[in-house]
This record gives sequence, structure tokens and C-alpha cells, in this order.
Amino acid sequence: MGKKIQNQIKIVVAGPYAAGKTQFINTVSEIETVKTEARTTKSGEREVKSHTTVAMDFGKITIDDEHTLYLFGTPGQSRFDFMWDILGKGMLGLVVLVDSTDPSTFHEARKIINFFESRYPAPFVVGCNKQDLEGAWDPEDIRTALDLDESIKVLPLVALDKESVKNVLLALLEEIAKYI
Amino acid sequence: MAIAGNLEVFNFIDIFQILKKDKKDGILVVENENKKFAVYFKGGDILYIREVGKVFYIYLDVDFKKVLEKDHVSIDDLYRVLVAKLPLLLAVKKGKFSFTPGFIQYSSDIEPIIPIEKIIMYLSRQLSQEEVDRKISDLNLVFEKSDNWRQLAQKAHLTDIERKILNYVDGERTVKQIMEEAKVKQLTLQRALYGFLATGIITRKKKVKRKVGFNLTRNLLRKIVERIKGI
Repeated sequence: MGKKIQNQIKIVVAGPYAAGKTQFINTVSEIETVKTEARTTKSGEREVKSHTTVAMDFGKITIDDEHTLYLFGTPGQSRFDFMWDILGKGMLGLVVLVDSTDPSTFHEARKIINFFESRYPAPFVVGCNKQDLEGAWDPEDIRTALDLDESIKVLPLVALDKESVKNVLLALLEEIAKYI
Repeated sequence: MAIAGNLEVFNFIDIFQILKKDKKDGILVVENENKKFAVYFKGGDILYIREVGKVFYIYLDVDFKKVLEKDHVSIDDLYRVLVAKLPLLLAVKKGKFSFTPGFIQYSSDIEPIIPIEKIIMYLSRQLSQEEVDRKISDLNLVFEKSDNWRQLAQKAHLTDIERKILNYVDGERTVKQIMEEAKVKQLTLQRALYGFLATGIITRKKKVKRKVGFNLTRNLLRKIVERIKGI
């Protein structure tokens, strides 16, 4: 008997730098997240270093003998939108993360949503990370800042907390169920 | 929870949009090295602006009439004071902001005079390319008018060119198509759309059909759900 072919299922976790996507993936992944990001040495700048042709993180969750769910984390900066294009194709759904304590990440998140919505309109949810920190914005205010209506789930999230990450993934799967 | 940040990355339009959406009452504090403003909101509209020497002064009084008394301002003077202070506030481009919901108590005879929609549209006409790109970052975006767009547009006091642009927003045309058909410059169009979005005159077009990029069966989806629940 030959080895069974593994079907790869893809969920994309997008978000600005430091929104917590690597942590989000790490929290539920069976493997240590494969990281391809590096922080810039310039203080105060939110950029990733330039060996970026493979700029993404990924983790995996085995579903059964034939299926593996991959969680791909994309960099948020629009100069990496070629990666968004590659990862957007064939994705099951999208999780967009924002740092609830940093409104500047809302703008970047909105750009990411704009990109995917106009090219790969898959089901998506927004995870408002760092809700455990002082100064975190309310998810409903973040919804308004992102110009999202009530049909999109905008959820509180603490990416360090397994149940919180599972809650966001399950919410995305609920959305996906509406379209199959 | 907090509504706080830095004006350089989150401008007044963005702040006003959030406060108007939930018709919030409270005080917005805007401060930089030189100035400290307290902006009093009622139902998401600006009622009064005062400059203070120290931020804690703002929280000495919970009764708005008491605040006016201290500033020697009568209710009849509110409009004049607001018109005088508004340009000073809106000229602040750098600094911190934070909004404290509630706290201040307004009597029922005090109502906002200038609709926030008008202020938002005024500000949107001055946005830079970098700022408009934050919201209107893609020429393929499609917008539609909201249910109460007429009422909001009236409050916003749109210019002729903005009215023309609004006519083209129909839930079908992309930003690019509007630009071509209305024959307007991209920045002008983006500024108008940014303002329309912030005032609530338009919304993003709702996706009726979303595409799941994998041949997913209900059975497999159930397996994925169970697997994630079990992590």
C-alpha cells in the first residue's frame, strides 16, 4: 500500500506586523511555527527585513489521514502583497488580526481586507488581539474603524490563549459553513 | 474600553466616525506639547471645545453647565465658541487623543448645533494621498449607499463635485469606474469616498456570495471543527 496523498487545506492569517499572527498560529499548531520574518533594526519602524521572497509563517493541524489544515501567516505591509496573492488563491477562509492597543494597525488591516475582498472574497473574520492589555479598543469600535458591517464577525482575541484562538477559528468555520 | 491613540496615525475623521456611530456622549482629550483640548460630545456630535492648562481640570466637573459657568460661556454663546475653537482643534495634526465615555452630564436643553457629518466632510477635503490610501486603498472596491444616506448627505453639506460622485455610487461601479465616468481626479474621488464612509453615507458593498477556495464537504468541515475543538 502506498502512502495516502495528503490534501492541504489552507486558512490564511493576515495582519499587520506585531498584530500577533505568529503567536496565533503557534498557539494551535502541532509544529513550531516556521518563521520567515525578522525585525528591522531601525527603532520605531514597523517593518520586516528584506529577505522576504518567502515572507510568511505557517503552522499545521492534522485533520485525518488524508487532510492537513495549514495556517499561513502573511506579512501585513502592502509591499508584500504578492504574498497575499499567492496565499489567497485556494484559501478556505481568512482571519485578519489587529492589535487592539494600536490603532495604526487598523489601517493596515483595512488595506488587507480591501485587497482580499476585491480579489479572493473568501469568508473572513477579524480577531481583535491583545484584549487582555490595558488600552485595548473594544471590538465594536474596531468594527467601525474598519468600516465593517454587522455581517462580519469582529471578535475579541488573546492570541496567547488557546481557547481564544480556537474561538476565532471556529467562528471562521461557522462562516465557511454558510457557503458550502 | 479605550478609544485612544496618536493623531498621526488615526486622524480626527477616524475618531469622529467611531464616536458618531454609537452616538457617544463623553469627552475627547487632545493634547500635544503646546495645547490641551477637551472636546465635549453629545450623541456623537461636538457640543463644546475648551482649552485647558492641565488635563485633570477637565475631570473636575461632571455637570456640563458648571463647565460653561467656569468658562463664562452662556448656552446662547455655544455656537460662537464652537466656531471659534473648531479651527484651532482641527489644526492639531500631532499629539495624543483619548476619549472618556460618559462622565459628563448634559441637561436636555443643550443640543449640538453643528452636525459632525459636516465637519467630517470638511476634513476629508484636506486629506493627503497617504491618508486616503488607508481606507480607499484599492480601485476595485465597490460601495453602496446606506439606508439613510439622504439624511446624512443633507447634514454633510456636500459640494457639487461630491454630490456628483455620490450619484455614481450604486453598489455596482468600482472606484476606478466612478473615476472614469465622473471624470474626477483620483485624490478628489478618494477624499469624497473617505468622507462618505466616515459619515455613513456609503458602506462597503456586502458580498452576497463568498468563495471557499477548496472543495470542502460538510463531512470534512465537521471533522475540522471537531479537531479544532479538541486541541
